[in-house]
Amino acid sequence: MGNKQTIFTSQQLDAYQDCTYFTRKEILRRFHRYRDLAPQLVPLDYKNQPEVRLPYELIGSMPELKDNPFRQRIAEVFSEDGEGNMTLDDFLDMFSVLSEMAPRDLKAFYAFKIYDFNNDDFICKSDLEKTLNKLTRNELTEDEVRMVCEKVIDEADLDNDGRLSLEDFQNMIVRAPDFLSTFHIRI
Amino acid sequence: MELREFNNQVHPSPDYPSPYSSQHSLRLRTGPTQDTSAVQFDWSSPPEDAEDSNEPQNLRELPLHMSLKRAVWQVQKMKVPVVSSSWNIKRSKTFHRFCEVAKYILSYFVLWNRGIQRIGGHFGGGVRSYFLFLRFLVILNFLSSLLIAAFVLIPSIVFRSMKFNSTIALTVNLNGTESCLHYDPKPDALMVFYTYFLDLVSGTGFMEYSYLFYGYYNNSKIESNGFSYNIPLAYLLTAAFYFLFCLICMIIRMGGTARLVVVTGGGAVGGYSMLVFTGWDHGLQGDRTTKLKQNNLRHRLQVDLEEERLKKKAASLTLGQTVSLYALRVFLNLVVLILIGAAFYGIAEATQFSQSRKTTGFVGLLLQYLPSMVITASNFVVPLLCDKIALLEKYSPSTTVILALLRAVFLRLVSLGVLLYTLWEQITCKGEINSGNCEPCSYYYDQYKCWETRVGQEMYKLTLFDFLITITTLILVEFPRRIVVDHCSCKLTQWVGRQEFLVAPNVLALVYSQTVVWTGALFCPLLPFINTIKFIFFFYCKKITLFQNCQPATRNFRSTTSNFFFLLVLLFGWMLSSVVLLYSVSKIHPSYGCGPFRIYPAMWEVVPEAVKMLSSSSKEFLFYIGSQKCSIPLFIFSCVLLCYVNVLTSVHGKSVALLRSQCKLEQRDKQFLVRQIEELNATMQNLHREPQQPLRETEPFYHTSPQWNQYNNYAFDPNEDPNPY
Repeated sequence: MGNKQTIFTSQQLDAYQDCTYFTRKEILRRFHRYRDLAPQLVPLDYKNQPEVRLPYELIGSMPELKDNPFRQRIAEVFSEDGEGNMTLDDFLDMFSVLSEMAPRDLKAFYAFKIYDFNNDDFICKSDLEKTLNKLTRNELTEDEVRMVCEKVIDEADLDNDGRLSLEDFQNMIVRAPDFLSTFHIRI
Repeated sequence: MELREFNNQVHPSPDYPSPYSSQHSLRLRTGPTQDTSAVQFDWSSPPEDAEDSNEPQNLRELPLHMSLKRAVWQVQKMKVPVVSSSWNIKRSKTFHRFCEVAKYILSYFVLWNRGIQRIGGHFGGGVRSYFLFLRFLVILNFLSSLLIAAFVLIPSIVFRSMKFNSTIALTVNLNGTESCLHYDPKPDALMVFYTYFLDLVSGTGFMEYSYLFYGYYNNSKIESNGFSYNIPLAYLLTAAFYFLFCLICMIIRMGGTARLVVVTGGGAVGGYSMLVFTGWDHGLQGDRTTKLKQNNLRHRLQVDLEEERLKKKAASLTLGQTVSLYALRVFLNLVVLILIGAAFYGIAEATQFSQSRKTTGFVGLLLQYLPSMVITASNFVVPLLCDKIALLEKYSPSTTVILALLRAVFLRLVSLGVLLYTLWEQITCKGEINSGNCEPCSYYYDQYKCWETRVGQEMYKLTLFDFLITITTLILVEFPRRIVVDHCSCKLTQWVGRQEFLVAPNVLALVYSQTVVWTGALFCPLLPFINTIKFIFFFYCKKITLFQNCQPATRNFRSTTSNFFFLLVLLFGWMLSSVVLLYSVSKIHPSYGCGPFRIYPAMWEVVPEAVKMLSSSSKEFLFYIGSQKCSIPLFIFSCVLLCYVNVLTSVHGKSVALLRSQCKLEQRDKQFLVRQIEELNATMQNLHREPQQPLRETEPFYHTSPQWNQYNNYAFDPNEDPNPY
């Protein structure tokens, strides 16, 4: 294909193609979406791998993420600094995992990290409560939240430690056929 | 496994913190905190000896940050020094790139792919499954119409235009049936536009004697220059093959969804966790849709909790209350059955009435459409009443939904069956073909000079009416409703609210249309083609109304089990129409005056005659296949195969359950070991803190150094005698 783009070296594009689920064209399109968030911060020349990090507020204002109640957690999980400030690498990584071609195990891994609010590698009751409140916009009563959390842990916790580990989560995801289509953002 | 044996040895007293019995333990344990993030993935280190083609895939699936992945990529790239293999790698890489680009381009060619993805993004999986089902039906109808066109329509057109001499061999005994031959539907050459329109809509007049209906096809057998084409045989075999083709397509599609249902164990288990973790659709955009989705989820959770509460309440009912509840349910079911029976009676009466009257003009048109109108009205009114009755029955919400669906399916398919039965009664004088009106021709000749065309006309009218009603509802009900709700903010309109796109009634409407098409395909060969166009219109109209007028449903349809359910209902419709096909092909005498089968006593007879004309070896072969010598062993073999596949399925299911319980057990083992370590640590620290404790009372154990960690000492043998002294 005629490479008329001057943003990346062909080696960089190769690397991106091998590390994400995007084709060349899609990578360039994603780059332009990234750049559109802050044209003055993002240079048009990435050949020297500049250290450009967009703050979370800009990422969270994208139309695909703006109304997602989990957008902060998503940005935090995929950003290297853990605060939601994303480089182009993180940006591409995020949309590659959230694309329709990523396999279920990979998505399940990242979904687990997203729902694990306190980053302790377990989804405990407080994580579940926060997830529920985000899902229902705090409109469930305390009682209902408590009952649902108990039921979830009952159903999914296999090792009876009162919280969900990654294996529990993955065992449950295997039985959820809709997971692949819901954990998916089109950009 | 060692862990399990260990567990069996010391399991009876898990909270007995003897440091000596726990000397059995704790081999192979590297630490209490497992590498939870890497258990499921065995690629925490990039595979050094991976195939070249696996490298790109593996990198993508690594759950690492992009910068780390790129570093790994650099390292891998640098590990390719040999010149000859680099060409291989490059070739495989270009091949993979090509595959990706090809897949990307092909996705554009899949019919309506982008549109359906957009619908899924905005309205969720249930609505998306409706449009996927519609697309499947469009493609099915299109392929069927190609099939029919290729084997029946085009040869007929070609032969008719070339004016071959049709060889009508009147070898049948025409004793007394000469009067049945008369059939002259040719319309007047000059027509008022008004009658033209009426004819178009009701399939009479100029439409009747056209390629649209059975009556126009000749029973010609063309033979010229060594090329022979038997149109009656082609007609029948095409119809049979069309049915088989549809069945195979449906079964293939059902197989795909059924596999998913079996693997995921029905999907009903783990409802709450499934809802919480996979309920949120991250592809949703827009403030309004996310608010609606959040309301939806809240509603579902509350409904589930409510169901639990109801179940608990139902379990705690006294005997008297249970009996009265069941009596109420039986009574209400009877009421529902009576309602449905009344609908059937209405349809039968309407059909009889419309078939026996012959008025022209607009009133005649209304009369002709009377059965369709009654069917549509009953399909609208009866489910509404059933919903109201279901409120009194006090079933749990999920049971109510399933029951309503079953009732609607029953109503739709059986009302079509009632229509067909009434037609049959009229045509064959209630089955007594040697009595009264059916005397000379074995069918009711006076009313039905060409009964196949009449049946085809009924199906044609049903299809058209269905299309008309949908478009009319769209224009006259849904758009005004949205306009009123959006612009008028009084309480009533807000309570009524925007239209909800209910998946189940829409899918049942599609199944009903498709069943009508299948039933009518033998008598109206162009019906699949008309249906293709109708369904394409439906797609665009429904899409427009969805985006303009509808809000997402508050009650959701689980998409995987519901896909299977839609196809199952479609299969029932297919079975109904195949019964009609088989009966009319084998039992009813074809019309004498029209159609390709006019000289045969039954449509099926054309096949034995054609077989007789085959060469003797093929004849023998066909007879052998049909004989008992071959068919019974074949039947037994297919039964055996079925049993084998069934057993395989159950074995797989059992092994899945076994593996799941094994998983659980291993987790518990891990837990137990971790607890043991912690207790051991605690006791060690206690002992260390109280050095005055006389060691002679306890067993002397020489491992006093606190740095010694049992779980690091791999030389420890669990079978070693703990009390060597």
